[in-house]
Amino acid sequence: MINFIARRIIQTLIVISVLSVVVYYLMSLMPGDPVDMMVASNPKITAEDVIRLKSLYGLDQPIYKRYSRWMETTLKGDLGYSRTYRVPVEELMAPRLWNTFILSFLALFLSILVAIPLGVLSALKPNSRIDTFVSFLSFGGISIPSFWLAIVLIILFAVKLPILPAGGTQTIGLGEVGLWAELLDRAKYLVLPVLSLSIQQIGRFSRFTRSAMSEAMRHDFIRTARAKGLSSQSVIWQHGFRNALIPLITIITVSVSSLFSGALLTETVFAYQGVGKLVYDSIIGNDYNVAMISFLISVGSVLIMNLVADIAYGFADPRIAYK
Amino acid sequence: MAELQNPIEKRQMDLEKALPMWKMVLDQFLTHKPAMISAVIIVMLFLISIFAYQLQNWTGLDPDAQNINYRYLRPLSHSQASIDIRETEIEKFIIANSAAAGKIEKALIEKSIVQSINPSDAIFDLAQKNPTEALMAIQSLDLNEAESLATLFKNFKSLHLLGTDELGRDVFIRLVFGTRVSMGVGILVAIASALFGLLIGSIAGFYGGIIDSILMRITDGLLSLPMIPILILIAAVDLTKLPGLHSLISTSNESILKMIIILCLFSWMTVALLVRGSILSLREQEFVLAARTLGAKDSTIIIRHMFPNVIAPILVSITLGVGESILFEAALSFLGLGIMPPTPSWGNMLNNAQELIYQAPFLAILPGLMIFITTVSFNYLGDGLQDAMDPKALRR
Repeated sequence: MINFIARRIIQTLIVISVLSVVVYYLMSLMPGDPVDMMVASNPKITAEDVIRLKSLYGLDQPIYKRYSRWMETTLKGDLGYSRTYRVPVEELMAPRLWNTFILSFLALFLSILVAIPLGVLSALKPNSRIDTFVSFLSFGGISIPSFWLAIVLIILFAVKLPILPAGGTQTIGLGEVGLWAELLDRAKYLVLPVLSLSIQQIGRFSRFTRSAMSEAMRHDFIRTARAKGLSSQSVIWQHGFRNALIPLITIITVSVSSLFSGALLTETVFAYQGVGKLVYDSIIGNDYNVAMISFLISVGSVLIMNLVADIAYGFADPRIAYK
Repeated sequence: MAELQNPIEKRQMDLEKALPMWKMVLDQFLTHKPAMISAVIIVMLFLISIFAYQLQNWTGLDPDAQNINYRYLRPLSHSQASIDIRETEIEKFIIANSAAAGKIEKALIEKSIVQSINPSDAIFDLAQKNPTEALMAIQSLDLNEAESLATLFKNFKSLHLLGTDELGRDVFIRLVFGTRVSMGVGILVAIASALFGLLIGSIAGFYGGIIDSILMRITDGLLSLPMIPILILIAAVDLTKLPGLHSLISTSNESILKMIIILCLFSWMTVALLVRGSILSLREQEFVLAARTLGAKDSTIIIRHMFPNVIAPILVSITLGVGESILFEAALSFLGLGIMPPTPSWGNMLNNAQELIYQAPFLAILPGLMIFITTVSFNYLGDGLQDAMDPKALRR
């Protein structure tokens, strides 16, 4: 077990460091470096100035030297400075991470809450009306473009029926209104993003719950439990569902990655100030320091979540032996 | 020969004329109603994308033609060609048939439909009027020569089945060309990445050992990454700066080609895992041993003896992959990093429409609906194929 955990941790670290090299290289391929940008916005800069600036910032160095310097300063805790927001990167990251965390986990929570009962119900009554409905819901959920769903939700609930804000994170200039009012205000801005992010996961989870549950209900011990005279509720939940839970845990943990992908799109549509939007904005705006760090942090957190899931899985199912 | 009444003989006959594989699959597939409907929808979308240019000629609409005076038209409304287009067309008409034009001009001024001082301005003045009014005026002339002018004037008016967008371009024809782009990208990506996955998976599964573990670590690593941020990063990169790629992508279709390459890079992993799994189990079977004993090369064993066994699951994953690729293409184009305008794709039509939800909400609804219908269809089709090809599910 310990051997397995150690191997997985090393593997994750390798993926992250390979990724940082690749991403650094790709960023250098983006159109225009910071000095080129400066030149574009200031016509008075002379060619000598450009050369001087490039050597000052080390931009004339080969890429591997730049990378090793960047890695050194990053490991020392200096994440650099955002050119767009004019603040140190670490100051920018913390609230954004928190916002994305809230959004993703609310969406995850909501989709589990909706999808599991639906999946169980449709597994218990195959070919019934609810089964057809769940099947359509899951196919629709998987197929719907989440950013389009977000736009449709905005049209419905912010344009046609103006009851919810169309975008943002919280009301600007709200001032000191007390904890409850502030929470309520934040909640209002979260309803539509969470909804649009959940639909896809609801589709996926309900489909998997259905197949896991109908698989579990076919076992002999279910028949035994029934024959013993247990109530159908206890057969379903205590004997059936507990066994369906193991594949479900895998799917839910694996979906953290797709949840994060979805969050980027949702955050962009709703102008929600999360890491995903920061990744997008900084890549588009050539804000290299922010782009590198936010990208690595977001991908790294997904990888770490996968790692945690793998380890937790071993504890959840004692039959799995790690080699 | 006597009638086959003997039940044993009859069963023997039934067994001998067992249905071929494809027929069983087809029979099974036909019972899956949603998959059938999806197949019909997909065939229709296919036809639309193949015959996009024919549709353009037939309707006389141009996906790139802008018309500033007729922006945000509602569905099923008419627009008139802009004044400069009308004037050039009329000029061409006058040059081509000057005699007829002279007659018409005279008649127009005689009947005082237009009050031009210079007779050569008469038709131009007519064109300034409301299109239906102008057409009525031409027909009231009762001249044989006016027929061709009437058709010219009729062509100035065009029907917009689904309205127009923020630049006055027809939404219907843009959706048609968007179908072409999105379906093309989706299908090409699905097939190319399946082939790549097939290659990687079969090498890893067949040779095993160190090759297998290196390839599988790469596959696992790529699979664990969140797709959208990675795709955004790569899409934002100027690929022409990469050595060796410059000559490959400097064509006019750069953004489409770039999209296909990027999506292929990140969608071969599931097929590779699937193929590796089946090849690992096939490797131990007797027919492989038999082939090897007969002196078959590795490539012959893999291609001739193993691939036919993995075709069915690959077909399913290609079908599901098309839907997924269309979604990713749309997402990237929506973010402004995929297919670049003016080439229409469903994703970049949504990108423009997002800012216009107050003026023209239907502009945002239609392209997304197309994406949704297409991906649902491909997913149902994949599901139907899976059910149909699964030997355990076959009802004989």
